Amino acid sequence: MLGWFDANLVSILNGFAIGSLLFILAVGLSIVFGMMDVLNLAHGAFFLIGSYLAVTFVAGESWGGFLTALGVAALIGLLAGGALSGLTEPLARRPILDQALLTLGISLIVAEVLSIIYGNDVFSVPPPPGLAESIDVAGRAYPAYRLMLIAVGLVLALVVWLVVEKTSIGALVRASVADREMVSAMGVDNRKVKFAVLGVGSLLATVAGVLAAPVYGARPGLDETILLLALVVIVIGGRGSVRGALVGALVIGQVESLGRALVPDLASFILFGTLALVLIVRPRGLFAGKVAHS
Amino acid sequence: MSVIPDSSTETTGAAAAVAATSPASRRNALLRRGVPALVLLVLLAAVPLFADPFTTNTISRILIFALFAVSLDLLVGITGLPSLGHAAYFGVGAYTAGLVSIHWTSEAPVPVLLAAGAGAVAAAATGWLAVRSGGVYFLMLTLAIGELVHQLAQRLTSVTGGSNGLFGIPSVRIGGQPLTLAGLVYWYVLVLALLGFLGLWLVARSPFGGALRGIRDNEPRMRSLGYSPFRYKYVAFILAGGFAGLAGGLFAGLLRIVNPSDAGFTTSALMLLAVILGGAGTLWGPVLGAAVVVLVRDTFGPQLDGHGPLLLGIVFVVAVYVLPRGFAGLTGVLARRKRTAGGTA
Amino acid sequence: MTPPVPIRRRVITLFGAGSMALTLAACGGGSLGGEEGGAEGGGDGGGTVRVGLVIPQAGVYTPLGEDMQQGWDLWLDQNDGMMGDFDVETVIADEGEGPDTGVPAVQRLLTEDSVDALVGIVNSATALGVAEQVTEAEVPLIVANAGAEAITKDAASPYVWRSSFTNAQIAAAMGTHLAEEGIGPVYVMAPDYAAGQEVVAGFTEAYEAGGGTIAGQALTPFGTTQDFQPFLSGVQSSGAAATFVFYAGGEAVSYVQQYDEFGLKDSIPLYGSGFLTEGSVLDAQGESAVGVRTTLHYSTEIDNEANAEFVEAYQAAYDELPTTYAVQAYDAANVLGRALAEAGDVSGSAITEALDGLGEIDDSPRGPWSFTNQTPEQSIYLREVADEGGTLLNTVVEDLGVQPQP
Repeated sequence: MLGWFDANLVSILNGFAIGSLLFILAVGLSIVFGMMDVLNLAHGAFFLIGSYLAVTFVAGESWGGFLTALGVAALIGLLAGGALSGLTEPLARRPILDQALLTLGISLIVAEVLSIIYGNDVFSVPPPPGLAESIDVAGRAYPAYRLMLIAVGLVLALVVWLVVEKTSIGALVRASVADREMVSAMGVDNRKVKFAVLGVGSLLATVAGVLAAPVYGARPGLDETILLLALVVIVIGGRGSVRGALVGALVIGQVESLGRALVPDLASFILFGTLALVLIVRPRGLFAGKVAHS
Repeated sequence: MSVIPDSSTETTGAAAAVAATSPASRRNALLRRGVPALVLLVLLAAVPLFADPFTTNTISRILIFALFAVSLDLLVGITGLPSLGHAAYFGVGAYTAGLVSIHWTSEAPVPVLLAAGAGAVAAAATGWLAVRSGGVYFLMLTLAIGELVHQLAQRLTSVTGGSNGLFGIPSVRIGGQPLTLAGLVYWYVLVLALLGFLGLWLVARSPFGGALRGIRDNEPRMRSLGYSPFRYKYVAFILAGGFAGLAGGLFAGLLRIVNPSDAGFTTSALMLLAVILGGAGTLWGPVLGAAVVVLVRDTFGPQLDGHGPLLLGIVFVVAVYVLPRGFAGLTGVLARRKRTAGGTA
Repeated sequence: MTPPVPIRRRVITLFGAGSMALTLAACGGGSLGGEEGGAEGGGDGGGTVRVGLVIPQAGVYTPLGEDMQQGWDLWLDQNDGMMGDFDVETVIADEGEGPDTGVPAVQRLLTEDSVDALVGIVNSATALGVAEQVTEAEVPLIVANAGAEAITKDAASPYVWRSSFTNAQIAAAMGTHLAEEGIGPVYVMAPDYAAGQEVVAGFTEAYEAGGGTIAGQALTPFGTTQDFQPFLSGVQSSGAAATFVFYAGGEAVSYVQQYDEFGLKDSIPLYGSGFLTEGSVLDAQGESAVGVRTTLHYSTEIDNEANAEFVEAYQAAYDELPTTYAVQAYDAANVLGRALAEAGDVSGSAITEALDGLGEIDDSPRGPWSFTNQTPEQSIYLREVADEGGTLLNTVVEDLGVQPQP
């Protein structure tokens, strides 16, 4: 047992790193979807905007460039989310699949504009200084940047959870989900709440794009892969709950890392096999949020 | 949360209108609908007489994907089950028809009938798990099933040819004669696709289809009336799989190559979007939706220096606002306009 | 009444545009007559030859398409846009990522554009999907990239030719070479799709035939693997002395970088099929790629006159180094040009007959090669990535000699 653990330690650790990244990516999608009932299929394209911003700003391999990329990405994410909030407003009373049509259309347009700006080549992005080295973990080299990702993911998870569960803003958001009319009767503009939630949700997507760039790089088609992963995460965790997104991300992180290391022959089947299995056993995900029951 | 396309009001409204009208106006309605349908049929049948092979092939593709989209609409629009894995059954049908043609016979209609059967069997094998869930979870579960089938097609190289595709599928034969000319293949596709449309239309119009709509609109109510929603959804899933398999069989006959991606996510997603674009629940709307998707992606897209996806994206975004109920919503608007115009005149 | 009409009209125009194009193109009309193909353009000397260039302009293969178009254009520029006595008219079509888009694109070139010959095609499934159509239309196709063995074997047709390579040809050359070196157990990795499987099979067969042993193998999910750590840990625990892989595009970048990041590069040397370090991916890989050894039928560093001229002209025209994809299209133009000069006729049968009689192509940047079973019999080079003054290059270590088709 100990020997097994030793042999797979790096894969387990890596599962946490990928899980952290997936959490940052998916939690935005999950709160937007679970709380505002907006199925944002442009989430992957927003992520890709972040990755390409990293290409633009990190060229100098400096912390300044990396932080600039993060800042610009946050701003663009906020604006993109705000715009999306406005665009989806006329669709509020229409079937959710209409949002899928809209957001997938936006996603195609964004991806195409990115490929016009950046071309179709594959870019890699170096980690910021000090994190480019590999560290010795149990006798094996492990990239320092991925270790930092684990820390960032955990901090973000804590922050998002605190904001949603413990602050008055979070209370307002949760309340407007439970009973829109009630909240607007209290004099709060529903649209503002939606604007804020979509803004923050999309901000998390673009920021995740920057953070992921030193691992995944930036290239056409990445948006679709990432979107599917994020959808799998929130469905496994159960949409609309921060805890669910965290658990879903960690599960998928391990599936994609440890799972593939253990059964490489079934690597092509393991992700969707897990998804199917979870949904068959728990048709509403592992941790269905309170909201999702309605 | 509701993922049910809200075409229900329109259909029930129309049904009420028909029931309330006199026999004479019903005859009128029949005439109003029957004549254009007949004209359309004649036009469709005449396509090979004036269209060149490429255009004829394009219309064959449209017919096939239209049949696929309508079979998906039986799930999405009529039953309220939005599937992101419907291409799996299309793919199973296509591979079945391809393999039957290569290893046994390409004599029509053997490959397509077996394709339809295989699609239905595959749907039966996976559907009993899928239809237990609903909404987004159904969407994701079908996505997972579709991707697993896609990977299986990729992996079973000795049977499917893997990612190289199943190639060397012989031409469809009728009475021993191979159909090599685009126009003849078109007629073969047209006849079977029309039979498929007819079958789906009959299902949707039948009491069974009515029960599906009832389950879509109010499942608890239907359950209390003694219906078993599971059994109805399951049968709908199998039927939809069967018709998708039929479409897949036609596709194998037309393209004479089958690829894992034909069973994959992109095909599923595009067709789901085609259904929404056309107007879910109307059966004929998705035909137009499929036509637009095929034309944009396969006909105009390749001439745009690689900006085909951009055009597709713009079409989707514009359609959401301009056509709130898909193409099918257009007739509603027209009819209402006509009514008000008649009233004031 | 007014507002809905324009919408409906828009839909009608969408349909109309298609049928209009067809009425214009349809000579005689209808799709019940025989396939006209491009045969009607035949004549003796002079005139125009219409060539369909099928390259990816959208999707993940787009960079390959750009290189191929540049190679094609360069050859035409150098030859005044003429092939033999014919003015060349190039009709470009977007292949997209797979047969879904590629097959209709070819269909259109064959019927609506009535091309006399086809060049291009990156994706093997697309090439296999159109083989039968081009044969029926009697239009020669010169595949300028797709490497599936079946294209010129199981699906062989007198009209389907290839100016590129076969997957196994390149891998087998490395297998034989490493076996001769006696390097020890090798771990083999490739994406889990047809080309990957062919490479793994080709390498394994050649390496074992030379007396080598395989330490293990992994086929990674194609197109969706961004993180190779789980598989790399398998390489480490297998006790392999070297790794041989086949990746291209985004996967090649991730793989080479992660191979370095996870500390394998220094202990277990990395070998690969040449696409691992070819073209724009090499710049993205950066220093991680230095020292990686690959086999391929081309490198900018091949020392011959034709290559020196080619590299110089290419750099002058496009301000970047040529890639093997560019060379494959350049050579496709070259053989088509030679065949047309020989045939003096643009009919499919005349072109294929002339292609068959070409013999050795002696002025190719990749060195001399010839068609055997309609696909190149050519030298494979052992290359090593080196950083020369800030530019990463695939230097030629050794000419492994002419490799027959496996």
